Amino acid sequence: MTEAVAAVEIEGVTKRFGEVVAVDNVDLAIGDGEFFALLGPSGCGKTTTLRMIAGLDLPTEGSLRIFGEEVGMAPPDRRPVNTVFQAYALFPHMTVRQNIEFGLRMRRVKNPELSQRVAEATGMVRLAGMEERRPDQLSGGQQQRVALARALVNQPKVLLLDEPLGALDLKLRQEMQQELKALQREVGITFVFVTHDQEEALAMSERIGVMSEGRLLQVGTPREIYDRPASRFVADFIGRTNILEASVESASTVRLDNGALIEAETSTPAGSRVAVSLRPERVRLQPHGTTAAEGSSLDGEVRDITYLGHAVVYEVAAGPVSIEVRVEGEVGEPFAAGDEVTVAWDRGAAAVVAD
Amino acid sequence: MGPARRSSPTTGAAGEEAAALARRRQGMLLASPGALYLLIFFVVPLGLITVYSFATRTSTGRTSLSGWNVESYRAIGDDIIVGIIGRSAWLATLTTVLCVVVGYPFAYYIATRPRHVRAVLLVMVMIPFWTNALVRVFAIRFLLGSNGPASALSESLGFGTFRILFTPTAVTIGMVYSFLTFMVLPLYVALERMDWSLTEAARDLYASGAKAFWKVTLPLTRSGIVAGCVLVFVPSFGSYVVPDILGGAKTLLIGSYIARQFRDARNWPLGASLSVLLIVAMLVAVALNQRSGSGAEDRDRPRPRKWGRAPDEAEAAAVAS
Ligand SMILES: Nc1ncnc2c1ncn2[C@@H]1O[C@H](COP(=O)(O)OP(=O)(O)OP(=O)(O)O)[C@@H](O)[C@H]1O
Ligand SMILES: [Mg+2]
Repeated sequence: MTEAVAAVEIEGVTKRFGEVVAVDNVDLAIGDGEFFALLGPSGCGKTTTLRMIAGLDLPTEGSLRIFGEEVGMAPPDRRPVNTVFQAYALFPHMTVRQNIEFGLRMRRVKNPELSQRVAEATGMVRLAGMEERRPDQLSGGQQQRVALARALVNQPKVLLLDEPLGALDLKLRQEMQQELKALQREVGITFVFVTHDQEEALAMSERIGVMSEGRLLQVGTPREIYDRPASRFVADFIGRTNILEASVESASTVRLDNGALIEAETSTPAGSRVAVSLRPERVRLQPHGTTAAEGSSLDGEVRDITYLGHAVVYEVAAGPVSIEVRVEGEVGEPFAAGDEVTVAWDRGAAAVVAD
Repeated sequence: MGPARRSSPTTGAAGEEAAALARRRQGMLLASPGALYLLIFFVVPLGLITVYSFATRTSTGRTSLSGWNVESYRAIGDDIIVGIIGRSAWLATLTTVLCVVVGYPFAYYIATRPRHVRAVLLVMVMIPFWTNALVRVFAIRFLLGSNGPASALSESLGFGTFRILFTPTAVTIGMVYSFLTFMVLPLYVALERMDWSLTEAARDLYASGAKAFWKVTLPLTRSGIVAGCVLVFVPSFGSYVVPDILGGAKTLLIGSYIARQFRDARNWPLGASLSVLLIVAMLVAVALNQRSGSGAEDRDRPRPRKWGRAPDEAEAAAVAS
């Protein structure tokens, strides 16, 4: 991201519905051409944020700019953005073609250009030949494509997508993920993509904003979000993790509540209460008593083993805490329930998260 | 459902047929009291009216059920009667149009309120409907009378007294008031079913508020408009009470004219033939509504989606085009 003007710039935006604070003082800048995901559990304010960008809801406070232009209070038809709605919202009384043409007709685009752009958009989402059907004569995936074409044909500066894949079954969903990603690269339009599916967000987007209870907790690349979660909520929400209570000992060590001293980088002052996030797939199981040359380890006992096909998950009790260890690509199970083991991990695998 | 429930293909088909027959029989049984009622109180009088329309009026004003003829139908061509029919049709049309104009925003307002407010507003719409029609029309007569509140208001505003009672205007006001409920309810049903994310989508696609209404809301509530129009037009066309109480000699409408034939004029065949004409006209109107209305219904209501596969006809049509 260069220092060019942001595609979408949200500053101190709050949205209240009566007593409910749906979006709480959010600051966010989304770059030109970026594929940005807004991720969070149900009811955290993702849709409301998107609707404010679209102009379907007006912010109670704060300012909102699209390519530098203040649009906070502008009606939706005066914004260079288009939306793919959660349930598509295709016009049931119009054909696929009429649906796709709608935005262009509203902006009085005349015929040679109109039909050319419609044909282009229809081709782009692979709907050629279905123009005369009505939405109820299409499959879920096809409807989704119509919704995409209907938005993209307008060449918006920003495309907003509200859980566009939510209604599709898993296989189609994965296909569409790839398609959407390719499409975004092709058209180069900024995509703001709302999802509550963390895997989808990690797989598709360049950057992710994690929301909870109306607040934007962390913004970063998928890797930053996954490896360096800024808070306990983010660590827990994205993927599976072990959260261990601890207090900071020094800038490079923390002491777990069970007494073990482990290596972990932190800028939190010594003595602070923190939590340590340890991803199950970033830790190893070793025979009891073997210590690693570098990194840290904990001794424990195998409590439970879950076979997942592609991986084996061990639950290890290390004193009062329980640690999940995920082992992939190993033939057989070298440890059995009741075995004394050592859980070890490399330096950098443990992330200190604030409360 | 389906194959799992069938024990074997042969008994399965037979069993299904038997079940269908039983269902049909049960349906008939359930419908029979209603059917009997309609037969006695609707079909029989209708038959009698039809019979009378072909009878002869004697010089003393009695009706002789002999010498069958179509004289009374021929009489309908009379200028006076044609004029009355025309005036009735015009007033009914005006009433219908006014009901749409007044009723649509009203229904829209109700349908867009929060759920609990909606219930209250709907009851308020229904209250006049539950009140005796005669009482309501007399209330209007009082309101519009030259000694009534409307006139007093007009006078106090310096417009002078106001003489609209016994004019077509008064009849129209009374009819709009009487039949507005028939317009508001179907419109409300259509608007309440409306998926507002569609108008939001239209706004998002650069439609102004008005354009979004025109292109999306209105077409999607068309079935409600059509149903409301039929429900208002049909009774206003044959309306008898309202024009009788609010109208003067110049606003003789077909309903009153028919009543007059049966009472004062003692011309039963003419009254009967006009009634037959009216009924036929209404049946045609209802049939037209059924056709266009049900067509609209199909389009408005999201049909159960056929995930992953389109109906064969549509497929074929798409390929052919
Ligand atoms: N029109 C409204 N009136 C009142 N409260 C609302 C309204 N719209 C949203 N809310 C509330 O604001 C909060 C955020 O809602 P929002 O729809 O943005 O959540 P979301 O993150 O999109 O959730 P989901 O994943 O379930 O779609 C919720 O608590 C919701 O109940
Ligand atoms: Mg949502």
